[in-house]
Amino acid sequence: MSPAEQPRDKGVARFRTRLFTAMMVIVATLTGLGFYLAQRKVTADAERNLQQTFQAELSSLHKLEELRHAALADRCNALAAKSRIHAAIEDNAIDLLYPSAKDELRDLMEGEEPPPEQAAQSLHARFYRFLDSKGAVIKPLNPYDVGELDAKTEAQLDLGKLPDTQQIGYMQENTQAVGGSIDEVIAVPIFSTDTGDVISALVIGFKPLELEDKYTGMKSGIWANGQLYLPALPRSTQASLNDKLAGELANSDQGENYFHVYVGGAPQLLFYKRLNPASLFPPAYEICVYPLSYSLAQLHRLRWQIGGAGALLLLGGFVASHLVALRLSVPVKKLVLDSEENRAQRKRAEAALASTAEELERSTRYSADASHQLKSPVTVLRVGLESLLAREGFKPEIYDELSALLHQTHRLTGVIDDLLLLSRLDAGHLQIASTPVNLSQLVNEWLDDLGALPDSPDVKIEKEFPHGLFLAGEKPYTSLIVQNLLENARKYNRPGGRIRVSAHGNGSEVILTVENTGRTIPPGENIFERFHHSSTPLAVSGHGIGLNLARELARLHGGDLRLVRSENDWTEFEVRFSAVDSVNAVA
Amino acid sequence: MRTRGLLWLNAVFPILPVALLASATLEGRVELPKSHSAPVQAKRYQIVTKGGVLSTQPPLAVVYLDGAFPQPASLPTKQVAQKDLTFLPSLLPVRVGTKVEFPNLDDTYHNIFSYSPAKRFDLGRYRPDERPIPTQVFDKPGLVILRCDIHEHMRGLILVLNTPHFVMTDTTGHFRLGGLPAGRYTLKAWIDSRTTREKPVELKSGETLHVDFP
Repeated sequence: MSPAEQPRDKGVARFRTRLFTAMMVIVATLTGLGFYLAQRKVTADAERNLQQTFQAELSSLHKLEELRHAALADRCNALAAKSRIHAAIEDNAIDLLYPSAKDELRDLMEGEEPPPEQAAQSLHARFYRFLDSKGAVIKPLNPYDVGELDAKTEAQLDLGKLPDTQQIGYMQENTQAVGGSIDEVIAVPIFSTDTGDVISALVIGFKPLELEDKYTGMKSGIWANGQLYLPALPRSTQASLNDKLAGELANSDQGENYFHVYVGGAPQLLFYKRLNPASLFPPAYEICVYPLSYSLAQLHRLRWQIGGAGALLLLGGFVASHLVALRLSVPVKKLVLDSEENRAQRKRAEAALASTAEELERSTRYSADASHQLKSPVTVLRVGLESLLAREGFKPEIYDELSALLHQTHRLTGVIDDLLLLSRLDAGHLQIASTPVNLSQLVNEWLDDLGALPDSPDVKIEKEFPHGLFLAGEKPYTSLIVQNLLENARKYNRPGGRIRVSAHGNGSEVILTVENTGRTIPPGENIFERFHHSSTPLAVSGHGIGLNLARELARLHGGDLRLVRSENDWTEFEVRFSAVDSVNAVA
Repeated sequence: MRTRGLLWLNAVFPILPVALLASATLEGRVELPKSHSAPVQAKRYQIVTKGGVLSTQPPLAVVYLDGAFPQPASLPTKQVAQKDLTFLPSLLPVRVGTKVEFPNLDDTYHNIFSYSPAKRFDLGRYRPDERPIPTQVFDKPGLVILRCDIHEHMRGLILVLNTPHFVMTDTTGHFRLGGLPAGRYTLKAWIDSRTTREKPVELKSGETLHVDFP
């Protein structure tokens, strides 16, 4: 791999990484969402299933209880039909009530307590009591026969009034003692056979029926009188559950509901249902605590499944993203390539620019140094030649020779001055003080000088410009431009040719045109280039700076110098200057 | 026999006017509760309970003269029979110390008992041919509610009184008590198990006093 390809591939790799990351984020989000939904579903299912189990178990329990209640109601109706019971209640013979009922209710109290599974059928009571017309308990003379109760428990049986219908209540015995028990209490009204009035009530206490736990690991109990009775749980757990239940039941007016609890650190679902709705007895609730271990295991399994699916998805995503990245990276690669080339080109151009600037600077510095180094020897040379010319005693040819040499030193000085000016121009050190310059006068002076030159060929000069045409500029430089153009027009002319000089003001500009006959400039030749030398074999003396300098100066004056045409023995230069309005207006 | 009796009466005649002159008579009317049920056929009446209150149906009252009267050596035996699963009579006023027989005239067992404070007794089950006929002596004044342990709807009342002077009103509430000793007494009207009205009376020999219980 070539070094140029490395960054390109790096870019592609980065793109691929990004694509893969995006896919991973999507897959992770989907997996997370799956987790969340599955968890919710499993939890909801578990709750629903347990709720149904709870309902089913409770309803079977209620069926048993209904049987028992019906049996008891029958018993009470039979009891109510007994003359002796009526006699005892109605004929003010309360002392005879319990003895009278003893025979009737003998089977309730006799025998051993049956095992729980036969509890519903056996009708074995823990105790019974009668209530008087005010709903208060009629104290038995011999509590042993009717099931002994402590005073506190017995007081709980007081309903305050006689019930019209069967009432179900739950109360705890020996709440203080460890292993206190709970009783289900059924109060059955006793109606007078004569009048149909309720004359008393029989209150019978049973061991409550217990919910059968088949496979759920459920623990059941009863919450009555603000106290939870759930012997399957340790007392400390019961106490904490009791607090929670009390809060829940206080805030809820629903007969049944469920909530989550932690028992022994394990999550459980606690269901409760009012056992005795609309009863005169205090509210009591059936409490069932179901462990959520089954649903948790299910959740665990599901988590693995979803996690596996997510991983597969991620793997697939990885492969897919790899393929997609490969396909997508082709245009991206191309894009990277193109931009690389663009960058290289720009760098090359920048390097070229830098070297050009360097060269320019170097040449500028060279011009300045060269001018200064050249000027002093030329001056020495000229002074030497002049002193030689002033001496007497040489042959006449030598004087001619010395005179020619002196002329050459003057030319050399002119070239050096031009170079100095040029270097100052290049360095940007040249600044012009703009003053009105009389172009007409300037041109005339130079034309006069031109005619006075010794080697001037036979050319005809045509002038076409008004008097007093002023431009804005500095006279020496303007003069230099005019001189350059006129000298060139003369220098490159042919014998018997002509020079035409015209100028006119154009509002904001003053335009000077210099035209001449003679040899034309070949097209494509850059005559404004510095140190330019004509490609034509017929050499004419010149140092190749003049036009360049003239143009730079014209531009410095806010104008320009250009070659208008050069063909058919006719060459035309045009230079533009800024006009001086006020002066031109006067003129 | 009839003639002889008359003769005997004639023989004691001189005393009779004295006795007649010495005795006072009470008559009047007791305002009886309105009867809500249809009139019972054949002048039969029964005991009903309403709000724990027992009374006869149709309503009848027992009017008696309360006071201290000498206890006779013996008192005639009375009867409350069980006939057609009712007590007959349903309401029996008796003087303290009276022995009451409870003959069973039905073809079934009866078990007459009472838990009333005035008399607690239980005759046990017995058949119509039970001999001797079960009896009880009522030696404490008060209302005795008779029940049958087998037929719980059966009710009978025995009103045990301290006095020999008592009479049941007719269904209109009218009563008449004759042969009363002169003196100040309290006349009482038993209307139901919870209601007994009373009025002070001053009886004068040979006079008939009219007393109405409103």
